[in-house]
Amino acid sequence: MIEATGLVKSFGSLRAVDGVGFQVQKGELYGLLGPNGAGKTTTMSMLAGLLAPDEGQIRFDGVDLAVRPLEVKRQLGVVPQEPALYETLSARENLRFWGGLYGLAGRELGAAVDRVLELVGLADRASEPIRGYSGGMKRRLNLALGLVHGPRVVLMDEPTVGIDPQARLKILEAVKGVTASGTTVIYTTHYLEEAEELCDRIAIMDHGKILAEGTLDELIRRVGGRELVTVRGAFSPDALRGVVASLPGVAVTTEEPGRIVLTVDRTGRGVVEVLGQILGAGLDLQGVSVQPPSLNMLFLNLTGRELRD
Amino acid sequence: MIRLIPHLVAKDLKRKVRAPLGLLIVLGFPVVFAGMIALAFGRGGDAIPKVRLLVANEDDGLLGSALASAFTAPQAARAFEARAVTPEEGRQLMEQGKASALLSVPKRFTRDVLDGKPVALRLVRNPSEGILPEIAEQTAGILVDVLEGGRRVLDEPLAKLRPMLDDAGGAPSDADVAAVALVVKRAIEKSGGLVFPPAITLESEMLGNRAPAADAGKKPGGTTSTIFLLILPGVAVYAIFLVGDQAMRDVMTERALGTLRRQLAGPVTVGTYVVGKAAATAVLCLLALAVLTLVGMVALRQPVSLPAFVVVSLALVLAITGTSALIYGLARTERQASTLSSLIYLAMAFVGGSFFRLEGLPTILRRVAPFTPFYWATQAYREILEKGAGLSGVAMHAAILAAIGTTFLTLGTVALHRASRRGAAA
Repeated sequence: MIEATGLVKSFGSLRAVDGVGFQVQKGELYGLLGPNGAGKTTTMSMLAGLLAPDEGQIRFDGVDLAVRPLEVKRQLGVVPQEPALYETLSARENLRFWGGLYGLAGRELGAAVDRVLELVGLADRASEPIRGYSGGMKRRLNLALGLVHGPRVVLMDEPTVGIDPQARLKILEAVKGVTASGTTVIYTTHYLEEAEELCDRIAIMDHGKILAEGTLDELIRRVGGRELVTVRGAFSPDALRGVVASLPGVAVTTEEPGRIVLTVDRTGRGVVEVLGQILGAGLDLQGVSVQPPSLNMLFLNLTGRELRD
Repeated sequence: MIRLIPHLVAKDLKRKVRAPLGLLIVLGFPVVFAGMIALAFGRGGDAIPKVRLLVANEDDGLLGSALASAFTAPQAARAFEARAVTPEEGRQLMEQGKASALLSVPKRFTRDVLDGKPVALRLVRNPSEGILPEIAEQTAGILVDVLEGGRRVLDEPLAKLRPMLDDAGGAPSDADVAAVALVVKRAIEKSGGLVFPPAITLESEMLGNRAPAADAGKKPGGTTSTIFLLILPGVAVYAIFLVGDQAMRDVMTERALGTLRRQLAGPVTVGTYVVGKAAATAVLCLLALAVLTLVGMVALRQPVSLPAFVVVSLALVLAITGTSALIYGLARTERQASTLSSLIYLAMAFVGGSFFRLEGLPTILRRVAPFTPFYWATQAYREILEKGAGLSGVAMHAAILAAIGTTFLTLGTVALHRASRRGAAA
């Protein structure tokens, strides 16, 4: 349904997107996961037809976006990162305007507006000017504006950034509702949990490139059944490194004063054996946490840093 | 594209309605301005109020009397209500706010003028009476200039006259009188065109500079306020330019709101967006024009040529839309656009004769004036209001305004197109 190939976009000397390519099938929720500055928003701007790629091509159902932009855009819904709303109008008026742009009118428009107001939980506040809305409510309306015309494809650019957990939960529920109806969604986020919870397939991006792509299970399998072990204590990193160096299947990935992160192969001696060795060496161990294989771990393996850094 | 434009315009108008304060300020500006003028000059439909001038003449000579009587002459009496007072009485009346100005003619004024000594007339103005004291000041200044000019031209006969005015000189002989009379006659004949009555009547020219044709068709004591009529067209043109500026500024606002990006990510092309904004600007300008027209009709009660008024107004709206599109297309930021438009509109209004009659501006500015849309719009409305011009009388003005508007709108659309693309990509 959506096919992006060899996308490149530079701003001066900065290559914001560097050869990105992917395919998204109909009804799929495809996630672009990466830290800030990874190139996610630039990729989304190109998909929305707001930025022309320097190289590469974007096709929707075989139609080239660059050749027939309006035909493609009519089928798209866009949910920008920052709410783009008319604050002096009510939620219903905003929705009627955006729905009208896509050719909806009369009862069809009214029904579409009611449907998305219900979906995002704003039906009871629909007639109030939105300047009185909370940040979370504005984000929900922002989502509704991208859905009101019933698009076949929705581009959602970090729709939950900077909102409270309750509003975030409502947005995630709405997104699930959208995909349940067969709409294709491309969703960018830098929240691991969101990507894990929502996405059918995930592309991990950093520095303008896709580093890995697949379903959650496929990606985690790439970690190779390793666990992430964070060790805290009053010891020098060199001392700990000396202890674990001789252990097979154990590697130091991050070291800071008083904190070292190890990856431990589950098929080898395991975490218990590693901890036994550390204690046996007389190191002052103050705390240990163990994470099962995750996207964060994959990101760490691929980039040498954690996604949360 | 065509289908979307009314939708975009309706949205912009609805936003203006939902922020009524901004809309009222924008639409009310011309009304308030016109109202202020009406207040300054009395009821809008009345003739100009007279200058209440007190003359404290302490001079016992001819020139003092001549000066005082100049304000009661038939021509001056149309604008002045002069009253002779003593200095003390004059001061009291001024303190009570019962006069526009007090003109004091000092003792020995005539003699000092004849002796070629420096003399000064003193004018005390009442600041609470708006422009009226200024009229008195300018008129008195003109009279002083005339006296000074006369003194220089009549230097020779005055020298002969001086002994006769001097008490110690005794009665002049018939031959002396005849000789002086002859010299005076010849001097006046040579320079009469410079110093005689036309200079005195300058006060009406300075105040109103009203074209004779405007007076010709009016009944004495007509219903239109000259000053109101003179100021209204220029101010109205300036005000409507501001309305257009406010409307077009929305291009920058939408960029900041992110709604520009959102529209361009949908089925709205940059061209549609720009045309929609221009159309919304034009509609708002027409609304403002309608409000101002209503005020003008109520205040002036003057029949005008409707076709001429409509054609000039439409051409003006085109010019305003084009000018504002060009400014906002060239500016990079809202702040830059705001500063640029304020400076450009103020300068064009000044040069184009919207604030001051062109006749009062330096020659260089008068030459530049026709390069501004303000000039053509202001002149066109003045032709319609003051001279009762019809469509043929303002066809050239309207054509030039339309040409300016079309050119600017074309350039502005290109510039806005590029700016909006930049804004969408940002």
